[in-house]
Amino acid sequence: MHNVWLVVHREYLERIRSKTFILFTLLMPALLAAGVLVPTKLSEFKSVGAQRIVVVSADPDLANAVRQELLAPPPGSTAGSPAELGANDGFVVQVITTPSDDLRETLRQHVSAGIIDGFLWLNADDLAHHKASYSAKDVADFETNRAVRSAVRTALVKQHLAQKGMTGPQVETLLTPVELKTVHITKGREGASGMAVFMTGFFMVMLLYVNVLVYGISVMRSIIEEKNSRILEVLLSSVTAKELLAGKILGVGAVGLTQIAIWLIIGAVFSTPGIVAAKPYLSDVHIPVTAIALFGVFFLLGYFLYSTMYAALGAMVNTDHEAQQMQWPALLPILLAIFLANPVMQHPDSQMAVWLSLVPFFAPILMFIRVMVETPPVWQLVLCFALMLATIYGLLALSSRIYRIGILMYGKRPTLPELRRWLKYAG
Amino acid sequence: MANAVELRGIHKTFDHFVAVDHLSINIREGGVYGLLGPNGAGKTSSIRMMIGIIMPDEGEVWLFGEKFHRKQLQRVGYLPEERGLYKRMKVLDHLVFLGRLHGLTEHEARKRSLAWCERLQLSEWTHKKVEELSKGMQQKVQFIAALLHNPDLIIMDEPFAGLDPANAVMLKDVLLELKKEGKTILFSTHRMDQVERLCDAICLIDHGRALLEGDLKKIKASYGTNHVQMQYEGDPQLEGSDLVQSFNNYGNYVELRLKPGADAQQLLRTAADRARISRFELLEPSLEEIFIDVVGRNA
Repeated sequence: MHNVWLVVHREYLERIRSKTFILFTLLMPALLAAGVLVPTKLSEFKSVGAQRIVVVSADPDLANAVRQELLAPPPGSTAGSPAELGANDGFVVQVITTPSDDLRETLRQHVSAGIIDGFLWLNADDLAHHKASYSAKDVADFETNRAVRSAVRTALVKQHLAQKGMTGPQVETLLTPVELKTVHITKGREGASGMAVFMTGFFMVMLLYVNVLVYGISVMRSIIEEKNSRILEVLLSSVTAKELLAGKILGVGAVGLTQIAIWLIIGAVFSTPGIVAAKPYLSDVHIPVTAIALFGVFFLLGYFLYSTMYAALGAMVNTDHEAQQMQWPALLPILLAIFLANPVMQHPDSQMAVWLSLVPFFAPILMFIRVMVETPPVWQLVLCFALMLATIYGLLALSSRIYRIGILMYGKRPTLPELRRWLKYAG
Repeated sequence: MANAVELRGIHKTFDHFVAVDHLSINIREGGVYGLLGPNGAGKTSSIRMMIGIIMPDEGEVWLFGEKFHRKQLQRVGYLPEERGLYKRMKVLDHLVFLGRLHGLTEHEARKRSLAWCERLQLSEWTHKKVEELSKGMQQKVQFIAALLHNPDLIIMDEPFAGLDPANAVMLKDVLLELKKEGKTILFSTHRMDQVERLCDAICLIDHGRALLEGDLKKIKASYGTNHVQMQYEGDPQLEGSDLVQSFNNYGNYVELRLKPGADAQQLLRTAADRARISRFELLEPSLEEIFIDVVGRNA
């Protein structure tokens, strides 16, 4: 144990003192802050002036109705929701009631030339099938698209209602959308809103994923470095390969925990202005203490699981380049977990989500998501931890066998049959 | 005196390759022991088994009269053939780390590191990173690391390989001094000249087996003084003579081995009849010749 402690001690101090660690630890929160603040600020700057739109329809009533909707969106229809933050400075709308192919061509050229921003083509046949077309240079401008779509829909609904004899304030009241407030229930108490849960969950899962991977790879790279610097055999004259491996994984893990702790502190100190700035997105952000504690637990378990695999990889190869070609067995499961993150977040209670989140290789991501968006039963958490610990134990046994032989092998990397023999070697 | 190292029939197979084949050797305490053999003979594998880096498939390793256990490693200093240091660590921190791994307290490790650095003229470098040191200086740090805990048994695998000449002399002096203090020094090499100068006893291994083991002087004596070194002008036509077993022309001089029972004086007379002899010397065989002879016979 004394030797393991010495290895941990060295690994920890050397890393904590390194410039890379200090830089990364400080830069990451800065980047995250920028990631939250810049889009917020950007959308404030985005206002490029009014959108110039031409509405083309053979039906002048409909065209004018759409125009009216675009110019004066009914109160409560969209305003106030977070997504409206970057809305445009309104529209300048021109109506043309003589559609023709020539006109369409001219309008296309006008859009290209930048004379207008787009044109809305309302064709009676298409409308019968609930279709219309909006052509613009910037079709990815979701705000405009949404405003145009909603204007067309509202105009059509109003037209239908008018034909049935409904007009005026009656219609306005009818068309006012319901505002749905989502509330997260944990342990029977009402917590943060759905949006906030989604955002914090997403954010913390990404942080977990990045950290597990960064530190797992870090273990691999430092083993490759030790192999290349030929220090290992010097160490092996007083430490066993197992002690070295344990010391390395624990030491690097401790560095990871330290970094997360520093981030939490920085987050706590500086988050206030950041959250205020991003307030429209993160209404009442609230990360429960249990989630933070479980974040630490899942980081450690996930890190142990993946770093043992990365340690074996590091012992097998001789260069970073070789390692990159070989790292898919360790990378694939966690990438898969990230792909599965969205469905699990949507239906955290589904049988599929429960089973997937119990798979030890996915658990650090998927079970943690479930912790963030709902409260999984305790037995599932306990089972999850037990399975992870068992897997870590098994992987550690395999890895240390590969490590023990691999670190003394220089030159060509082992073939699969060779690897199998490595696992069988005595002592 | 007890044996510092006893290998009792150790055997190691990698895949289907026999690295060490039931090797048994005894290394007495005190003195310098040379482990010789061509590349791939099993020297490094034997050494690794001595200090528990790898485990023998069969056989036992005994150190200092006890069956191997890891606690004994605190009395062993090891300089592997493949040796290196953490490039980004400071020299003193590095030495302290390695010293503590060998059971020293931090304080003691620091004190001894500084003393050794002083002695090997590294004092100004103790707070520099290893990567800032020249290769020669890094080699000195590696020696210190192997000797810091004042081991009773010092094992060095090809210690002179890749060493600059100044450091080679320094290492030799340090080793001889340690020998005087009664330490046991074991080193492996394939360079015979070093063994002849330094070793008291040797083991010659090839294909994982001991071909020759024992006291160097006795081994040489057993080969007898049937070697002749001579210089001459002209051609004495000795190659193929019925007195000569083997003939080696080194350019400036020739070295030959007499057939068993052949008389050196007769050889001199024959040669003198045919050429001008400027030097004629009867010698013990060089270790290199014994080596080539033994390996050749067992090939």
